[in-house]
Amino acid sequence: MSYVSFETKEQASARALLVPLCLFLGALLGFPTLINLWYSFSDVSFQNMIGSFVGAENYIAALTNPKMWQALGFSLQFAVICTTLEVAAALVLVFILHPLLIKRPWMTAILMLPMMVSPALMGVMYRLILNEFTGAIPVYLEMMGHAVNFLGRGNIYKTVVAIEVLQWTPFAFLILLTARQTISYELEEAAAVDGATGFRSTFHILLPMMKPALVIVIFVRFIDSFRVFDHIYVLTGGGPGNLTTSISIYIYKLFFVQNTLGEAVAVSILLLLMSLTLIVVAMRLVVRRS
Amino acid sequence: MLRSKFLTAGAAILATALSASTALADITILAWPGEPSESAFRKVLDLYNTTEGAKINSKASVIYFSQQGFKEKMLADVAAGSKEFDVMLTSTYDVGLYAPFMTPIDDLVTDKVYDVISKNAIETQKYEGKTYGIPTDLSLHFLYYRKDLIDQLNTDPAWKAKYEEISGKILGKKLSPKPADQWDWDDYIASALFFTKSINPDSPVRYGTVLQMKNLLYNIMLWQGTVASNGGNWRDKDGNITIDSPAYKRGLEIYKIITDNEATPGDSSTYEYGEANSVFGAGQVAFMVQWNAAVPEFTGDKYPAVAGKLGLSHEPAGSEGPKTHFHSLGLGLNKNTAKLDEAKAFLTWLATAEPMKLYAKEGGSPPLAEGPMSEIAGDRPEMVLMGEHAAKYGFVMDGATSAKAMGIYTNMAENFTGYWTGEMEQDEAIANVVADMKKAFAQ
Repeated sequence: MSYVSFETKEQASARALLVPLCLFLGALLGFPTLINLWYSFSDVSFQNMIGSFVGAENYIAALTNPKMWQALGFSLQFAVICTTLEVAAALVLVFILHPLLIKRPWMTAILMLPMMVSPALMGVMYRLILNEFTGAIPVYLEMMGHAVNFLGRGNIYKTVVAIEVLQWTPFAFLILLTARQTISYELEEAAAVDGATGFRSTFHILLPMMKPALVIVIFVRFIDSFRVFDHIYVLTGGGPGNLTTSISIYIYKLFFVQNTLGEAVAVSILLLLMSLTLIVVAMRLVVRRS
Repeated sequence: MLRSKFLTAGAAILATALSASTALADITILAWPGEPSESAFRKVLDLYNTTEGAKINSKASVIYFSQQGFKEKMLADVAAGSKEFDVMLTSTYDVGLYAPFMTPIDDLVTDKVYDVISKNAIETQKYEGKTYGIPTDLSLHFLYYRKDLIDQLNTDPAWKAKYEEISGKILGKKLSPKPADQWDWDDYIASALFFTKSINPDSPVRYGTVLQMKNLLYNIMLWQGTVASNGGNWRDKDGNITIDSPAYKRGLEIYKIITDNEATPGDSSTYEYGEANSVFGAGQVAFMVQWNAAVPEFTGDKYPAVAGKLGLSHEPAGSEGPKTHFHSLGLGLNKNTAKLDEAKAFLTWLATAEPMKLYAKEGGSPPLAEGPMSEIAGDRPEMVLMGEHAAKYGFVMDGATSAKAMGIYTNMAENFTGYWTGEMEQDEAIANVVADMKKAFAQ
């Protein structure tokens, strides 16, 4: 009897302690979510911030607009390519630089530098660096007889991908390096004694042990690349045409330039639903495998 | 003794209260950033704060957002009822969008104002018959060209022969060189081809011209002189959308021919104002159509490669002669301001001769009326040209001051830059723009 009452007391105090957090989350997320839901079913505009109910009109407009699918396609493709390249590059760097960084850990800070620059500033920097006439890289390449037009139509997609990868590979590297450093030296030594060195040690011991960190990195980088905005907007404005219009740029233009706030919010909510579905599926897969 | 002390104290309190009631509050102005107008405007504010502002006890200060996303930030602020600024920016192309958040200033626009500011420019700050801003800067386009190169093209027999050969081969008609102020759009294209090194290896510059083709609404404003000069407009007088017209097709083709023949830098699809200036200033192209704001950059010593070689003319002519898009930026009243009298006092003062002339001398481009214009002509000769061009060639597309204008320009930018760079066909681009405009104007 006393045991049961102790449990109940514990549960009650745990619930009481959760109340402030729930209130905070309710205020922070609940209210905006509710008001955005209303916006998505209304003809709200900057001139009429209340709007009137229009049913599913905004959702129909969003789903039947080919530009939304084009932007979604761009974002998905961009996220897959960037995440793959960033994680692959980070893994290679981790395995190459790990011995060096154990002796000189301060060098990690230098490798983190690109991540510390704001993405919008990164866009401005590359607008200058890659300019055909004033940019250092095209000028030197031309002097060597290899003229490349990085911002030309044929290369612009590769350029925006390269900028994203250059900026965010350090993030993947940092997480994976931390995971690599948690693997004890004794384990590697034991594997070596058993004859597992080089390739076998990396693929059968180190990588499986780094798997949780790898999943997190892939997850975070995918989400981050999927909602890319800043450097592309600064560099290309989403063009030429809609060639580099990501879903974030598309929503931004719907909202601020086209003044179709309801449709912009409807696209955002559709995107949220898609992301939630993906997250639930991904998490279930991870849990099942683990 | 005690009584007289009380009386003195009471009088002092009363005097303080009275003087406080006559003192006006300080005001904040949200203005367009960027040189040279930013420094010029700060000088105007200094003048206000030491003269008229000091007289009425109201100081004015200025705040700036960054240029990138300026309008979006301002829109979000005014829609949220912000009182952080009392005076705000207005522009011809979005006066309709901001009108619900502003207080009209027709009561400030007296006959005296027309003696200082051009009547045409004040018209560009109107929406549905009401005036929303005092215009402070006029923006239009000039043809910027290298005098040395165009002079040689018109005098050197070898260059002339080559020009005829290139125009005949690529455009299918043999054209002869002309002075820049006599160009039509065919001459513009032919000259662009002639001065492109990949077409004419003897060209002293790498490209003939530089087009600004970033997916940006301002680049459509820059381009649409090609359309207006051929009689094109957004709508006809009955309100029908007239984008699917020979004038628009011709305008689109002009950029397409130049792009396909690589007579503009290969990364022009990411170019806007700054990039075009640096390419022209570096002496890498022979001419370009550019905003008037660039003139001071090329008349100073910033770009040695073009120093003393700059020629200015109107845009090339189409079937209707030369045309230039023009708009004005101005300052108007935030509807939510709690300091209406002070803000009105500032705008009233701003629309007088002294601040406007100071602004022009310091690098701004106010649309001055004839009288004050003649007084500053010595300091800013290109401003006289601006006034002439606005009056003779200026146009505002029908519907381009409406609440939907920004969205329409943006949609044009998406589709037309897509056509120029080969992302879509011309018919598709035009159809997309027409569909968007029908939707916008139906609303």
